[in-house]
Amino acid sequence: MDAALDRQPGDSSAQARASADVAWRHVAFLLEASRQLAGSLNVRRTVLRSLRLAVPYLGEWVMLAIFEGRGATFYACGGDGVMSEPVTVDRVPEDSALWRIGRVGRTELLHVALERDPEDGLGSLIPDEGLRAAAATLRPADVLGVGLNARGSTAGALVAVRAAGAGYDEPDVEIAEEFARHAAMALDSARLYEERVHTSATLQASLRPPELPVVPGARIAARYRAAHAQLDIGGDFYDVHGEPGDTSVVVGDVCGKGVEAAVLTGKARQTIKTAARFDRSPASILAALNDVLYADHSDRFVTVACVRVRPGSGGAGAVATVAVAGHPPPLVLRRDGTVEEPDVSGTLSGVLPDLSYRETEVWLAPGDAMLLYTDGVYEARGRDDFFGQERLRELLPGYAGANPETLCEVVEQRVVEHLDGAEHDDIALLALRIGD
Amino acid sequence: MPTTTEPVVRQLPQFERALAEGDAGTAVGIVDELLDSGVEPAMVMIELISEAQRRIGDRWQRGEWSVAQEHTATGVSVAATEAIARRVRATPVSRGRIVIGCAEREWHALPALVIATGLRERGWNVTFLGASTPADRLSAYLHDLGPDAAAVSCSIVGALPSTRQFIEASTGAGIPVVAGGAAFGPDDRRARALGATAWAPGLREAVEIVDTLPAVVAPAEPLPAAALAEQQGLELAHRTVGETLRERWRPQDAFAPGTAKHADLVTVARDCVDQSLYTLQGALLTGDGRIVRDTAGWVAALLAARAVPGDSAPELAGELARVLRDYPRAVELLRAHWPERS
Repeated sequence: MDAALDRQPGDSSAQARASADVAWRHVAFLLEASRQLAGSLNVRRTVLRSLRLAVPYLGEWVMLAIFEGRGATFYACGGDGVMSEPVTVDRVPEDSALWRIGRVGRTELLHVALERDPEDGLGSLIPDEGLRAAAATLRPADVLGVGLNARGSTAGALVAVRAAGAGYDEPDVEIAEEFARHAAMALDSARLYEERVHTSATLQASLRPPELPVVPGARIAARYRAAHAQLDIGGDFYDVHGEPGDTSVVVGDVCGKGVEAAVLTGKARQTIKTAARFDRSPASILAALNDVLYADHSDRFVTVACVRVRPGSGGAGAVATVAVAGHPPPLVLRRDGTVEEPDVSGTLSGVLPDLSYRETEVWLAPGDAMLLYTDGVYEARGRDDFFGQERLRELLPGYAGANPETLCEVVEQRVVEHLDGAEHDDIALLALRIGD
Repeated sequence: MPTTTEPVVRQLPQFERALAEGDAGTAVGIVDELLDSGVEPAMVMIELISEAQRRIGDRWQRGEWSVAQEHTATGVSVAATEAIARRVRATPVSRGRIVIGCAEREWHALPALVIATGLRERGWNVTFLGASTPADRLSAYLHDLGPDAAAVSCSIVGALPSTRQFIEASTGAGIPVVAGGAAFGPDDRRARALGATAWAPGLREAVEIVDTLPAVVAPAEPLPAAALAEQQGLELAHRTVGETLRERWRPQDAFAPGTAKHADLVTVARDCVDQSLYTLQGALLTGDGRIVRDTAGWVAALLAARAVPGDSAPELAGELARVLRDYPRAVELLRAHWPERS
C-alpha cells in the first residue's frame, strides 16, 4: 500500500507491481479466511473466528451484527484481538444504515470524519452506545457496513472501521464483501448444524446411557463406546433401576447400530423398566419384553442379560438372580480371582411368541463382582482374531477386588487395543461389586 | 484454611496403603477429612493423589507391582478425585466452557480428571471426555458446544501422534488448546511443536494459563513433511517391526523358560519395544530427541530392576537401527540420543 502511495508519476511498471502486490495480498487473505472459516460448525465460534480474521485486515475495529427478528446481537473485536462481550438490542433503528443492510443486503460506506460529531455517523451502523464509544476511540474516518448474505437471505452485517488516512477504496470494499460472503456462508452452515444438533440432542437425551443411581451395599460402574465415534448412542444399552434392597441391572444389544438401533434400545429400555415395576423377576421382565417386541412385527431383535440384586439374609453379601435372552450370562469375578459363568440361557427377544425364561441364582460375597457385557467385547476383531470370551476370562483374575470402574476401564482398554484402530460394534460394559 | 502441605503429607502413607489394598472407601474418607478441615482441593490433588500415583508408577517400574495392581490402585485414586469433583460441582459457574480429555491411545484419564476438577473449582464449565477419545468424537463435542478452550492430557509418548490430532481438531475449529502431561516433558518444546496454544506443566499452571488464552487461534501449522512421512510409516509398520524386534531382542533369555522371571520379561520386552517405537514416532513429530534419551533410561531402569545381566538397553537401540534402516531420521535420532552404554 505504501509503495503505491510513494510511486513516481509515470513509473508504470512500479505501479503495476504495486497493484499486483495488493491484489496478491487480497487473494492470500481470502484464501486463508475461507480455509479457516470452513473449520467451525459452531455459530459462536464462527462469529469469533470471523472477527479475528477481519481484524486488522478489513478494519482496526470490526463488529458482526447478527439479526434476530427486529433486533440484533453485536460481537466486536478491537485491534488488540480482544473480543467484547456480546450486546443485544431489541430493535435496529428504522432507516439507519444497519437497518438498510438488513432489508436489502446492500453495502453502506460512511465517511464520518467529515461530520462534526463522529459518533453520529457511527450511530447509523453501530446502534449500541458502548460499542460506538469503543469504535470512536479510533477517531475513525470511514465506517463500512456489508451484508452477511448467504443462501438468499441477509443474516447480519459486518461493520468495519478505519482511522483517517486509511479509508476504503473500491477494491477494499470488494474484498470486504467477498469476505462477508464467506463468513455468511460459514455462519449459515453453522446455524443449520446447530438447529439439527438441537433437534438430535433433544431426541438423543432419552437414548443416552443413563446416570447410574447409587445402590446401597454395592458399587456400580458402566462404560459405553459407540460404534460411531461421533455419537454417544447406538444399539447397545444398559440400565439400573429399582428400589433400595431390590435392584435390576440390565445390559442389552439391539441388532444393528447407529441411530436406528438407538431408537429401538430406547423402546427396549422403557419396556424393561415398566415391566420391572410390576414384577422384578428377570424371567418375567424378559417374557414381557419378548411379548412387546414380538407384537411389533418388526424384524429386529434384542438380546438382554437381566440381573436382580437383593441383599442376602445375613446382611453382608447379595443374591443375584440372573436370566438372559440370547445374551451371554454375566461373568462373576470372585474376591479370590476365580471367574465363573452362571449356567443359564434363553432365546433372544422379539422373534418368537410366548417365550418363558429360566432363572438362576448366584450368591455374591463382599468383594465379589459381576460383569455384564455385549458382543462388542468378544467380537472385537483385531488383525488376527476376535477378542473372544477366553481373553476376557483370562484378564479378569488380576482385577479381583478392584473398583467396578477399573474393571470396566481395563476391559474397554484391552478391547480397543485389540482392535488396533479397526472398526468395532457398540461396546457396553456394566460392573457391579458388592460392598461400598 | 491450612496453607502448608503438612496435614496432607501426614496422610500420604495411609492413602498409599489404601491404594495398595484397593480400598476406595478409606481413600475417599481421607480426602473427605482433609477437605472438611479446610485444605484446598488443588492441594489434595497435587500433594496427595498425584504424589501417591507417582509412587505407584515407581513401584511398577521397579517390578514390585503388576500392571493389574497398578491399575487397581489408580482406580482408587480416580474414586478419590471423583469425591473432590462432586464437591467442587457446587461452585457456581463464573467462567466460560472448556472441553478436556485424552487423545486416542491415552488411557491415563486421572491427570485429565485432576485438571478438569481444578478448572471446575475455578468456575469453569467443564466437559470431561475421559480417556482415549477419538478425534471424531472430540470434533462433534467442539462443534456442538463451541467451548472457549480445550485441554488435552498426554501421559505416554505413544499417544503424542493422536494428541496432535486432538490439537488439529481443536485449532481447526479456532479453539485454543492447552497441552499437558508427562509425555510433553519438562518444557513447552513438544507442545509447541505439536501446535498447542499453550503448555501447562501441572494443575496450578493450567488454571492460570487458561485465563490468558486468545479467543481464537489459527489452525495448527502443518508438521514438517519428511518427519511426518517417517512417523506415518512407523505407525503403519508398528506391528510387523515390533514382531521382528521381539524375535531379535530377547532379554528374557537370561532366565530359564517357564520361570516367573522369564514370563515377566517377555511382557517387559514387549513394553520396551512398543515404547521405543512410539518414542521414535513422538521424537519425529516433535523434533525433540530428549524423548529418546528418556526412553533409553526407562528401558535400562526396567531391565536393571529385573536384574537382567549385561547391557541390554543399548542392544535394543542397535536392533532398532538395523530394523529401521529405511527410516533415516529415526535412525539418526537413535544415534544422537540413545546412550551407547546404560
